[in-house]
Parts: sequence; C-alpha cells; structure tokens
Amino acid sequence: MTATGVHHRSYTSELRLRATRAEYVRLALMGVLLVVVPFVLDNYWMSIANTILIAIIGAVGLNILVGYTGQISLGQGGFLAVGAYTSVILSDRMGLPTPLAIAFAVVFTAVVGTFFGLPGLRLKGLYLAIATLASQQIIEFFIRRDIGDFLTGGLGYINVERFGFLGFQIGGRDVFERQWYVILAILAVLSVMAARNLFRTGLGRSFMAVRDQDIAAEAIGVNLTRAKLTAFAVSSGFVGLAGALTAHYSEVVSWEKFTLQVSILYLAMIIVGGLGSIAGAVYGAIFMTLLPVVIRNVANAFESVVPFLGNQLPAVQNATFGLVIILFLIIEPRGLNRLWERIKEFFRFWPFRY
Amino acid sequence: MNRTRRGALIASLAALTLGLSACGNGDGGGGDGDASPIPIGIIADLSGATGDVGTPYNQGMLAYINHLNAEGGIDGRMIEADSNDYAYEVPQAEDLYRQYVNDGVVAVQGWGTGDTEALHTRVGQDELPFMSGSFAESLTDPNEAPYNFVVAPTYSDQMRVALNWINEDSGGDAEVAVFHHDSPFGTAPVADGQEWVEEQGYGLGYQAYAMPGGQQNYVGLLNQAQSQGAQYIVIQNVASPAALVARDIADQNLDMTIVCLNWCGNELFIDTAGEQAAEGHMLIQPFAPLSVEKEGHGIINDYLEEEGIDPESVGTSWVQGWYVMHVMAEGIRQAVENNDGEELTGEMIREALETMGPIDTGGVIGEGAIEFSAESHRGSTSTGVYRAEGGQMVEVEAGATP
Repeated sequence: MTATGVHHRSYTSELRLRATRAEYVRLALMGVLLVVVPFVLDNYWMSIANTILIAIIGAVGLNILVGYTGQISLGQGGFLAVGAYTSVILSDRMGLPTPLAIAFAVVFTAVVGTFFGLPGLRLKGLYLAIATLASQQIIEFFIRRDIGDFLTGGLGYINVERFGFLGFQIGGRDVFERQWYVILAILAVLSVMAARNLFRTGLGRSFMAVRDQDIAAEAIGVNLTRAKLTAFAVSSGFVGLAGALTAHYSEVVSWEKFTLQVSILYLAMIIVGGLGSIAGAVYGAIFMTLLPVVIRNVANAFESVVPFLGNQLPAVQNATFGLVIILFLIIEPRGLNRLWERIKEFFRFWPFRY
Repeated sequence: MNRTRRGALIASLAALTLGLSACGNGDGGGGDGDASPIPIGIIADLSGATGDVGTPYNQGMLAYINHLNAEGGIDGRMIEADSNDYAYEVPQAEDLYRQYVNDGVVAVQGWGTGDTEALHTRVGQDELPFMSGSFAESLTDPNEAPYNFVVAPTYSDQMRVALNWINEDSGGDAEVAVFHHDSPFGTAPVADGQEWVEEQGYGLGYQAYAMPGGQQNYVGLLNQAQSQGAQYIVIQNVASPAALVARDIADQNLDMTIVCLNWCGNELFIDTAGEQAAEGHMLIQPFAPLSVEKEGHGIINDYLEEEGIDPESVGTSWVQGWYVMHVMAEGIRQAVENNDGEELTGEMIREALETMGPIDTGGVIGEGAIEFSAESHRGSTSTGVYRAEGGQMVEVEAGATP
C-alpha cells in the first residue's frame, strides 16, 4: 500500500523499491542496527544473531518456493544437508577454496532441488507436500546410512576446518562470533536484496502468476514447467547457501542437524513471518530462532516461582512452538509482516481508522 | 508524509530498544579470586529419548557436586554447576553450550553421542574440557577431539568384551544380532564389533539392526534376528527399549540371550522387563552397581545415609554420574594445585587430566583406576560383566578387558 499523498509521475518512480522518506529512514536504521549489534551483544547473543542470519537465508529461500510460487515443500532439511555436505566435501576433502566450495554447493543444491521439484509439474498442494517429504526422507536416508562410508568415512560426522580464505582465518573464542557475523550479515543482506529484486523481474512475476492461478498463467504465456522448476532451483540455491554456512559456522556436519524437524521449523518461520513476503521470512527467522531462547530465559527467571517451567522446559518450548503457529494461523494467517503493516497503517492514518 | 515518518521512526526505535534489551549480561562467571566458585556447565537429558537413564545420571552428578561443596569444595572454592535439560536435541545442546561458554565455565559435562560429536570441534577451539555420557571411541583420540575425555571403556571396548563373552559362552559358533538405537550413539560400536569378530577369527555371525523408536514391541525385529538364527542379541540402547525386547523374548518363548551394553546394562533394565523376563540376560556395565560392594561405594553410601536416600533407589546410572563428575573434579583439583593462584582455565584442567596419573575410583569403574595421557583420552578399557539373577545384577567378571 502506498502512503497517502505519494504520487508517481513516471514508471521508474513507481518501480522504485522505496517511495517515501520514512522507508529510507527505516532502511538507514536497520543499517545502523546491523552495524551496532556486534558492539552491544555478548558472545552468546552474537551466536544467536549468527544463527538468525543463516536462518534468514534459508527462510527467504523457502518463501520463494512456498510463499511466492505456491509449491509446498517439506524438503528443506534435506536441501540444507545437500548444501552442507557438498561444501564441506569440496573444501575440506578436495581442497577447493571455501568460498568457491560454497558457491558450488549452491549450484549443486539448486540442481538437486530441481530434480526433486519434478513432481511439482504434476502435483499440487498436499500431494506435492508428500512428494517433497519423500525428498527429505531420501536425502536423510542417504546421509544417515552413509552407505560405503562415502560421506563421513565411517565416523558418522565430518569435522570442518575453521573458515579461512586468502590468508584470512576466523579467530578464537573472543572474535569468532563477531567475525562470522560480518560474513553472515553481508550474505544475508545480499540474499534478501537478491530475493527482493527477483520479484520485480519477469521471472519472479511468473512465479507469482503460477501461485495465484496456474491455468490463467499458462494462458497468458507463462511456461509453467520452466517457472516451477526454476522456482525449485532458485529456492534450493538459497537453502544450499544456508546449509553450507551452517556447516562452516558450526564446524561439524552430522545428519542430526538436517532432520524433518528442521523442515518443519523453516515452514513455521515463513508461516509466522508471512507467506509471500521477503520481509516476512526475515521476521519469521528472527522470531522462531529467538522463541526458544526467550522461553528459556523467562523460565530461568521465574523458576523459583513456577518450577514447572524450568523442570519441563523442552516440553514447554515445544508446546509454545505449536501454540504460536496455531495462534498465527487463526489470528493473523499473513504473519508478522502483516502485523507490521497494520502498525504502520495505524500510525499513517491516525487519528482516523482508515 | 510527516506522520508516516514519525510512525516509522517510533517503530524503528522500539525495535532497536527491543533488540538492545535482548542482550543479557554476558559478564561470564570466570573471574577468579581465591574463593570464587568454579563454574561448570551441564547439558542433561531429563525429558528426551534417553531421559530414563539421563535423569539419574544427572542426579548423581549434582549429588557429587553437593557432596564436594559440603566437604569444602576444591581448595576452598565451591563448584557452581548450571544444569539444563536439552531433551536429546542437538540444536538445544549447541545453544546451551554457547551459553555456558559465554558464562565463563571452565569445563562442561555433556550427555549424548550426537551432541558430544557435534560440539567436539567447538570444544577444542574453545579449550574447554568436555566429558559426557557418550563413550564413543572417536572421542578418545586427542588429535581428533583434543578436549574430550572418555571416563569409562568405550562402547566399542564394551562390544569387544561382549563378543569375547559370547564367543566363550557359545563355544565359538553362534549368530549374533546387534540391536542398536538409530542414532550416532547406537551405531558407535557396530562397525568395531564386526571388525573385532574378523580380527579375532571368531566363528560368530554378526548382523546389525536399527531399533526404531516409539515401538510397542520388537517382535518384528526379533523375527528378523530369528531368521538370522541369532542366539545372542547385543543391545546398544537405553534401558526401556531393551527391557521391551527382553519381554518380547519371554512372551515369544525364544531361546535368546540379551547382552546389554552400558546404558541398558543396569537395574532399570531388570526392573522394567520384570525379574522373570530379565533372568539370565547379560549386562556389560563399566560402573559397578551399589549392590556389588566396592570400596568406592563407601563414599556414596555415606552420602546417601546423610541425605536419607534409600540406596535401593539408586541405580547404576546415578553412580555413573557421580563418578564421571568425580573424575572431572579431580582434574580440576590437580589444575588448581599445579597453578596455585593463577586464574583457572580449561587448558590447565586438560593438562592436569593428562599428566596427573591414575585417578582412583575404588573399583567402581572397571578395575578402579582411570588414567589419561596426551596420546589417549581413553580413561579405562576394563568393565564389569554381570548377569541378571533374581532381579539383581550379579557380578560374573570384574575388570574384563577386550
């Protein structure tokens, strides 16, 4: 929605991502926030910030597929694994420079994602969800059983060398989180920008046309096969990047990090954040990553008064996770992004209701 | 426009304030004075897939800290343990670990194999000694995991002892089915067992089966083992599912002997299966249960008496927690002595553990002495072998080694 009093006099003006000064102020504030974070947070909260940044990349990727193209996917955990294992095998075992290995992992995950997106050409909705669930199970089976010890050499996990490139090496406990923050923040911002701009292109619009009405989209000349498969490829590419970064950041890869639960967590992120909105994916990633941490801190603070909270913490966290999703589906199915828009509208129209 | 800008500004400021208020005080607790407490982080499974043994293990650990602090701590300094449930979820363990590091702990007690493996690289980089309820062999190599210490014989050593016993009991010709938890913990000794059979030239058949979780019974799996012709079932899982297998064997009237490793080789297995169903099954248990009298149990019995706890209610997993904590505390004590007055670090504790020589457990762990070196973080290779008889763990062999 455009703010009252904003008039476009040219197509260029209308196509601009930001039309009002308020939007530029907000952007500047976010920039300041990103820069300030490493100076005000301690190492623990920095690690949470880093986890959020990786989740943002993954959630943006999933939202391209689910929110923008309408292709439901339960294979997120599997695609994260493909990115993680590919990057680590290429960098640590085959000696490729890590950034290059990450780039290859992005491409390879896109290819794998496209392959598993093939059922999307015939299936929709729940049927496609089950087909992508199969992709999660197949990939998980492959990495979990590790037939022939091809992936982990019989260990069950892969040790990942500390990230380094061209003489730069991530440092020890004191600087580890902050250095990673810089890398992850840059990549997260680039990912958000890339996704945001994708939907201003013909390709991005064809994704949305497929989501809104695929038959009509085909009638107006959208190549459905190409649009659906490209959506899977682009989305998986983002997810592959998130997977590769997870591996290098946590410095160990094991199948336990890429289970169906992770797929569900990412779906929850985009539902809570807002389907079909890049900002929503960001809000969802922040919210769902912070939720268990905040619950734990609250439980610790109130442990003496309500011992149940501390004693049954994981159960309380899981129950809250479910409750949050239910509440969002009932109260605001369009997620945090829509809530934010409502807040903006309130201030914009105040004292009038509309 | 103005209103829009004001709205955006207020909202952004609110977001900024929220963000800033989210940061806890990350001061850490590592500051040292002579009497400052020694902070330790504990990652426990109280409510997860292995909570049946994880809970008493955690209680044993906290009881030891309680006892140690009541005795005046280490050189007058109390152990300050922060213990939290992670429900056997790797991401939760990682989150807790990062919080402990930020709080300035000098050592960490973990639990599962998956999470110990997931954390071992970070632990090495952070230079924090890490012990856990995982006795996976991969954690004993200081080149791979420089800050991980394995107190008891590894799962692989326990598997080797089990296979030695089976080989002897069967006369060298039997089929062995290995039922294992479907996780890194479960699979840890499987390949090593196969290698041991080949290496020793045993005439034993060897086949592994993953145990799916949440089952009402394991009849299907037992049918597969029967097709293999298995007379022995080695179980690498926790007590509850192993007890279910024992019941199924009794219900089906099968002629099979279970050989439980570590986390099902305990009283909980016997109690859950029931005295009759458990009768005659074998338990490979590196930590001596209280029912078998060892010198090292004296201190536990005194503590239980003081606290008014019935020793009958204290199982082997509790004893495990007590003694794993004891070994870590002895390392800390040595580090404090070695570096009189200096700020205690994880590196000092590692060095102390590697160089202090044997730590006496009074016959509770294997033959009783735990010893690490710079070349090996495998504390012991000897374990007790028990048989379930009349609802009790009866010692068949003390200090069995592969």
